[in-house]
Amino acid sequence: MTEATNLAERAGDRDPRVGLRAVAALRRLLEQLEAVQVRSARNQGWSWQEIAAELGVSRQAVHKKYGRH
Amino acid sequence: MFERFTKDARAVVEGAVGHAEREGAARVEETHVLLSLLDREGSRGSFALASLGLPPGGRAGLVRDLDETRRRGGLSRADADALSGLGIDLSEIVSRVEETHGEGALAAAGRGGLFGGRSGRRPFGRGAKDLLTGTLRVAVAHGERHIGDEHLLLALTTRRGVPSEILADHGVTHASLTRVLYGDSSGGEPGDAAEAKAG
Repeated sequence: MTEATNLAERAGDRDPRVGLRAVAALRRLLEQLEAVQVRSARNQGWSWQEIAAELGVSRQAVHKKYGRH
Repeated sequence: MFERFTKDARAVVEGAVGHAEREGAARVEETHVLLSLLDREGSRGSFALASLGLPPGGRAGLVRDLDETRRRGGLSRADADALSGLGIDLSEIVSRVEETHGEGALAAAGRGGLFGGRSGRRPFGRGAKDLLTGTLRVAVAHGERHIGDEHLLLALTTRRGVPSEILADHGVTHASLTRVLYGDSSGGEPGDAAEAKAG
């Protein structure tokens, strides 16, 4: 049995593992989506300030995370 | 620690660096170590995989699963399943992102720079470093002086994450590996295995 089917079967049991796993997966997905969007914005000439404003974070935060590459 | 690595284990580590470079990854991750382990032939790790139905020519399914996971931005099939429990269709998200940003866009998100791959030697990521330390523990637990590629494989199965999940989907677990490597009587590394499960 794969881990995926295992989890699917537990989903009905309100196993906290399923919910926690979903949150962790969502967090990772969010990180990847953010990187895709930030890269796209930079490629279109957006400033760090503009990107930060859309993301609702400080310019420093977004620059520190993506700037030095 | 590296002076205790066998030729095969060193080749796996070198191969992992090569996989990371070809992929354009910023760091060497555990998935690169797994890809490199799957490349081996004639090593103890390779024989163990073959005993579990994965001979050198028969590992394409595993590589494909790893590729798919990378395309989903490093999210495994179990992650996708957990998300579908929330009503989120990961494959739909992946295809929409790819429509707008090109094929493999989410996979590329995990790469080092926003503006193309770096050149030069990749550092090992934290997970891969921990894996190497775990490998030493596995070898010591089996009373072995040398660290072989089979210990790298064993250590991978004791860790959480994509490599151990995909390996398990293909029948390679800590228990099955311990059985083919050391026979049924050996308990292997119960501490690590229990730790990984109890999390």
